[in-house]
Formats: sequence, C-alpha cells, structure tokens
Amino acid sequence: MAVEIGGIGHSVKRKEDARFIRGKGKYVDDVKLPGMLYLDIARSPLAHARIKNIDTSKALKIPGVVAVITGKDLVPLNLHWMPTLMSDKQMVLPTDTVLYQAQEVAAVVATERYIAADGVDAIEVDYEPLPVVVDPIKALQPGATLVREDREQKDNHIWHWEVGDKAGTDKAFKDAEVVVKQDLYIPRIHVSSIETCGIVASFDKVEGKLTVWMTTQAPHAIRTVIALVAGHLGLAEHKIRVISPDIGGGFGGKVPVYPGYVLAIGASVLTGAPVKWIEDRAENIQADSFARDYHISAELAAKKDGTMQALRVKTIADHGAFDAAANPSKYPAGLFHIITGSYPFQKSFVEVDGAYTNKPPGGIAYRCSFRVTEAAFTIERLVDVLALELKRDPAELRMQNFIPPTAFPYTSALGWEYDSGDYGRALRLAMDKIGYAELRKEQAAKRAKGELMGIGISSFTEIVGAGPSKNFDILGIKMFDSAEIRVHPTGKVMVRIGVKSQGQGHETTFGQIVAEELGIPVADIAVEEGDTDTAPYGLGTYASRSTPVAGGATAIAARKIREKAKLIAAHLLEANPDDVEWKDYKFQVKGVPAKSKTMQEVAFAAYTNHPQGMEAGLEAVDYYDPPNLTFPFGSYICVVDIDRGTGEVKIRRFVAVDDCGTIINPMIVEGQIHGGLTMGLAPALYEQITYDEQGNIQGGTFMDYLLPTAMETPNWETAKTTTPSPHHPIGAKGVGESATVGAPAAIANAVVDALAHLGVRHIDIPITPWKVQKILKEKGVAE
Amino acid sequence: MRFEGTLDIAAPRDRVWSFLTDPKQVTTCAPDVQSLEVTDPHRFKVVVRAGVGPIKGTFTMNVEFTELEEPGHATVVARGQAPGSAVEMRSTMDLAALDGTRTTMKWASDVTVSGMIQQVGARLMQGAADKITQQVFSCIKAKLEAPVTA
Repeated sequence: MAVEIGGIGHSVKRKEDARFIRGKGKYVDDVKLPGMLYLDIARSPLAHARIKNIDTSKALKIPGVVAVITGKDLVPLNLHWMPTLMSDKQMVLPTDTVLYQAQEVAAVVATERYIAADGVDAIEVDYEPLPVVVDPIKALQPGATLVREDREQKDNHIWHWEVGDKAGTDKAFKDAEVVVKQDLYIPRIHVSSIETCGIVASFDKVEGKLTVWMTTQAPHAIRTVIALVAGHLGLAEHKIRVISPDIGGGFGGKVPVYPGYVLAIGASVLTGAPVKWIEDRAENIQADSFARDYHISAELAAKKDGTMQALRVKTIADHGAFDAAANPSKYPAGLFHIITGSYPFQKSFVEVDGAYTNKPPGGIAYRCSFRVTEAAFTIERLVDVLALELKRDPAELRMQNFIPPTAFPYTSALGWEYDSGDYGRALRLAMDKIGYAELRKEQAAKRAKGELMGIGISSFTEIVGAGPSKNFDILGIKMFDSAEIRVHPTGKVMVRIGVKSQGQGHETTFGQIVAEELGIPVADIAVEEGDTDTAPYGLGTYASRSTPVAGGATAIAARKIREKAKLIAAHLLEANPDDVEWKDYKFQVKGVPAKSKTMQEVAFAAYTNHPQGMEAGLEAVDYYDPPNLTFPFGSYICVVDIDRGTGEVKIRRFVAVDDCGTIINPMIVEGQIHGGLTMGLAPALYEQITYDEQGNIQGGTFMDYLLPTAMETPNWETAKTTTPSPHHPIGAKGVGESATVGAPAAIANAVVDALAHLGVRHIDIPITPWKVQKILKEKGVAE
Repeated sequence: MRFEGTLDIAAPRDRVWSFLTDPKQVTTCAPDVQSLEVTDPHRFKVVVRAGVGPIKGTFTMNVEFTELEEPGHATVVARGQAPGSAVEMRSTMDLAALDGTRTTMKWASDVTVSGMIQQVGARLMQGAADKITQQVFSCIKAKLEAPVTA
C-alpha cells in the first residue's frame, strides 16, 4: 500500500523529468509573443569612469531599432536607481559615472535580437577614466579612491556588524593555553547556472496589467518589489502577474533584481509591446551577483588537551559597487555566525565590515543559507590548523569536541538554538565507510617513500530554513511560506505552494508530503508553483528553505484537510468522530478495520454528500511560520593524491555522510548531494573570478572561469544518518545545500594534510596545480 | 603594459619629425585604418580595426599631441573604444640626429586595454602588440627611407 501511495521515504521518480529529458521544459526564453521586441544592453568596458557623453544617434538610425534608453531617460521616471535587498541602492543605468566593468550603460530595444546587438555596438560613449580600487582592504584605507560619490558618507565602508561576547572572548584568548590563527580568503565565484537570467515583460495598455515571465527564485517577492518601485507609474500589485516558469538552475543567482529586468519592464510599459531580455553567458558571469569574496582572519583558543574554548573572527566582506547581497534584512553578513560549527565554544566573537570596490555588486548566497559556506569552511579549516599545532589526529580532535547528542536543543555562543544533532555518529560512519585507520597507515607508508597523499575531514553544521518571523524578513516581508491544497471530487489533488523549484524536484517531493498525509497516490497529486496569480504568497526557494518552511505549510494544510475529512468519514461511517481514527492511510472505526473509508471516498462525499451544516468542499491553506531554523549536518572525508610533477590534486575517494532529518525522497536527496558536492569541488580546486588593477574581470567567460565537468568530478560515495528535526511537522531539515557547504573544507584539508609534514599549514582555495607546484618547488620535493 | 624600443631610420631628422607629427602621413602606417578626421593640427580622430586573434574590434581613437618640441620630442595620448572594450595609449618619442642622413628614434608607450579584448585576449596581448609594433615601424622605416619623389 505504502509503495503505491509513494509517500515519505520512497524514491519516487521525478515527475518533472518527463518533460525535461524530452526537451519539453518551458523556460523564459521559450516564451514567444506576437509583436515581441528584444532588448540588449551596452556595458562599460571600464571599471570606473565619468561618462562625458553618450551618442545614440547611430544606433537609432539602424532599421529595426525602436528605442535606446540611457540613464537620463530614466530620471524623469525615477527609475535610474533601484533599491537592493540590503538597505542600499543600485543604478539601473548611470547618469554620469560607471562603477564597475560590465555595468549597464544603455539599452537598445529592437525588432530582432541581432538588431538590438548591432544597436548596442553603435552606441558611442565618451568615458573619462577614473582611478580604480579593486582590493577591499585597500578600499578601506584612508585616502582610497571613493567608489560611491552618491553617499553622504565619503569612504568605502558600508557597515560594521558584530555578534558575541567581545570582552569574554578576549579574556578567554588571554588566558588560553593554545591559540591558533589563520587568515583565509574565500574567493569571489559565480553560480554559473546553465540557464542565464532573462525576462519577457508584457504590458497590456488596455487592461493596465503587466505580465512578466522571469527567471526568479522568489516570484511573489518580485511582484511586491515591482509594485513598490514602480507604483508611481501606475503598476498596482493586483495588476502585476509574475510567472516563474521552468528554471535551469538558480543557486541564489536568481534571487536579486537585475537592471535588465527593470529595463525590459520599463520598455514594455512605454512601448505597449512585449519585450524580451535574455543575458548571454559573459554578461551572466560578469555582471550578475557574485558570491563569497570574504577576507577572514580567524583565531581559536584551546586547552593543551585539545578542548576548544573560544573563537574570534574578523572579516572584510567585498560587496563590489553596491551592497546587492540577498540576505534576510536583519543580517548584513547573513548567518555567518553559524561559524562555531559543530563545537561547543564557551565564548565567541565575530565581526564583519562591508566594503565597496569597483567590482560588480552582489554577495549572494551561492547554494548556501547566507554565508554558511564561508563559516563552515573557516571553522573546519581552523580545526585542522589546531590539530596540526597540537599534533593530534583531526578525526580524534573533532570527536573529542563535538556538541554531544544529549546537549540538544543546544544554544551556541553566538545565539543559535541548534534543533538536533549527532555529529559523532556521522563522523564514525564516514570513517568506517572510507576505512580511516587503514588510510592513515597507508599515508605513513607513502610518506616514507616520498609520495604525497592526504586525508581531509569536514564535520560541518548548517543552518537553513529561514525563517521564524520574529527575526527573519526581507524588505519587511516575513519569511513564512505557504501551501494551498484542493482535493477534487474524484480524489485527485491540486497543491499550490509559495516556493519555486529551480531543479529541486518540488513537483515530486511536495506531492509525496501530501500523499503521506492524505493517503492519496502521488501520481494523483499535481503540484503547481511560480505563478503569482494562482499560488499562495511565499518568499521563494533559496537557503534550503522550501522543505523546512513550505514543506511544513504543506504538511499542516494536509492535516487541516484530514481534520475535516475525518468528520465527513464519521458521517459516512455513521460513527462518532471520536471513534474514527486515521490508520493505514484510511479512516477506520476504532477496532473495526472492516468499517473504513478512503480519502477518495471522503473527497467525493465532500461535494456530493457532506453533513448538513458543514461547508462543502475539501481544501485548506496554511501559512507556516517556523518556530526555529533547522540544522542539517554531515561528515565528509576526502582522500587525495598529489602529483609531484604537475602539482595536480587527484581526488581518490570522497565519502559524504549527510543528516538532513527525515528524508522525503532518497533518490532526490542523493541527487542533490551529488550536485552539491560537485559545486563544492568547484571552488576548492577550480573556480575564481579575479580582477586586475584596472578592474578588468579575469574569468569573465568559460575560457577562464573553470567549471568542473564529468572529467574532473570524482565518484561520490554517499551515506546517511537520520536525526529528525523535533520542531518540523515531518522532521525534515533541508538538504539542497549541505554538500556545497561541507565539501570545500574536506578537499582543502586533504591537500594540506598531504603536505603538512613539509610544514604547510594552509593553502587558499582554489588549490590549483600552479599553487601546489610552487609549494612543492619551495619545499624541494617537486619532481 | 609598457612597450619601448629604439629604431634607426636612414632619413634626416626633420623629415622623420614631419612624417611622425603629421596625422595624415603617420596614420598611413597604422593598422587597418578605416577613416581619419583631423580636428586641428594637434588633434585627430582615427578609426582602426585591431584585435587579438579572432577577437577584433573597430576602435575609434581620439589622438592628441600633448607635447610637440620640434624637432626632437613629442608625446601623444590616444584614447579610444571598441564595442565592449577600451584602450588608452600614452606614448613618447625622442629623435636624435645621428648625422645629416640618419635618425635614431627612442620610443615608449604605456598601453591600458580594458573590456572584452583584455578579458579574453590577455594572454595573447603581448604577442599581438609586438606584431603590430613591428608592422608599424617597418612601414615607417620603409616610407621614410624610400627615395624622395617630388
């Protein structure tokens, strides 16, 4: 029975794959409307320059060019600036100064995509170059080039944020027996989703209604933002429909509002024609929000016996020219203060300073719950530095210090209440699976022969599922989420949710939650999301929040239906509702299993034979405000071999043990972990965007920005432990981001471990063959 | 990027000077000139096609002689753009007469390239610049060393 229903715990095949594997997905670029115009954007080749003149005359002479839009054209509409999600503002188009390379300078609207591109090439801009600052540390020094002349504050400091007990932490460090310190840089990277960003905006001048198809992870929030930003142009929220169709990967990059979206909407409102804007790959990497770019200085105080006592972290966050991060509004550095990780520090203090530079804006959460990757990498790297200092085995040192399973719910030194965990169990399983003790013996033997082999561990703790409304909002909108369930007379179900899949498989997993709760086969349940005209209001999918928040709403809405269904079942069974119980996916008269009604029978009765005095129909809505966040965790172990000739790091084995609480669909969870591990491998060994002194992007195309392919990706070995969340309706914690968060430290720790006997204590990621070979040469062991 | 060098030309210094400081003459040796517009004796606008490997752009360059100390020293600032790219060149030249018939030119040029050409072509830039420089100078040499035809 349970297998037919396909409820929680079953590897139900993904419903959405039927269209994806046939090439029948419908993405924004597949939207084609009659009379549609195309928009393309002219971008600045310089990282900082005064615009002396923009000559659009040649572009306007090209047949097929309908309009050219510059910043000056947007001033009367008050659309030349727009708010970011972080109390900052961002230029839509500049009126006098460009602040980073690839910044939008003007837009061309034309009857064809190619004509729009020709129009862009014909725009002549007279730039006067200005001094450039690309290093946030230099940007914060007195006398540095000022990036943001528009601000009253005449320096590049954005904000200071701190949390924890400074005095207590300083004292703990003063009294400590052992202190280790490590500076580390988490490089600027880009999500590089397969689908770039895009929009089709269609304004109906007769109805006064704007419909947009858009690559957005948060359609409802976008609708509200459009109403707030463009309300003065007559766009009211009931006349705005945002449709987020199939999305080819989001990973946080499709949370912000980009100038191209605003320009396309503006162009459609002005022309009355539908306008499409689709970025090309270079625009996507160069101008859309980056991730990471944290310069971290971390210290750990411990006893000589290895007991960890205090943590002190100072960070400079490079936000580029605008603080266009996408964090909950109260947290300018996201949830970076999960940095105490899996360890019971008595005292901790964390501070972060934001800086402006002449680089593209952002600071988005790339497949993590707001700076959680930066935090996990730092603490897991630092624990290994301590292990080296104390000459201890890194696994043993972790085991000694883990927050014990009996301590949950556990309140961290920085104020989080961890819901549940069993960190030792996950690490033991990973060690057993990989054969840790034997690997250490092998490593010793290899070292004696001069061969380089390393074993790296990462025992991370995440914080996901934002979030409880008392602390979590974006632009004032609380971070609840929602579900609406309708059971049709024939027992088939429509579920609509406030989140939006970008590949996570919501159409399957949310169906499974409802199947489990209502006893209706998952095949009979349709899940819809992403259309603001039909779906209930929600804050969208990012930060692993769909299952923790909208999943909670879905389970509770289903339970509301079950409550009503029970009354109808009692009516049909001619029994007292108190004598009816939900058992084996059916309503039964207690003790009389033969007297039972299925949910399908009840659903039919809800429309044909409901009790007098009861409302007809069978549907429910829930807006779920989670009581707490969830804290998934895991232990990863990576084994690497290093080529002494080329410096290449070869991952021999990688075992990932994840604990995401209750698992809805094991196959989807495994897929999420495989993808996440690959996205964790990427910054560890390959990806980085750097800038030269003039602010030229180095790594702005796939010629220079190295994504791992199947060739580079090792065979991932996965396993699980299950520690349900005690506060979540189905005990689920969320898994989409665990592997991205946990993997980089395991890989970096393995490489350092391979070189530790040579005196190496840290290497900044990405650990490229060039960096390793340089070390091998310095240490005299290169072949 | 900084480029510099010395070039011996078998022509008198006055002739070299007048060739190199005359927009109409000197641009005959620039690569792939599409058009030239002389604004005043010190300023001109030239459109050239240049690039690195397959990445080519049409650069509209505004050129200005910022120092002209006849007959030996000049500085030139050229600033221009191609779609998605920008370039700035600050060049100096000093001419020394070896004798009545030969001249030595010492030259240096600071070049800043930004945008798509720099991003994609950075690794090829040095080679491409060397090639263009060589072409330009052999053209200058050839034209100046040719017998004067009245």
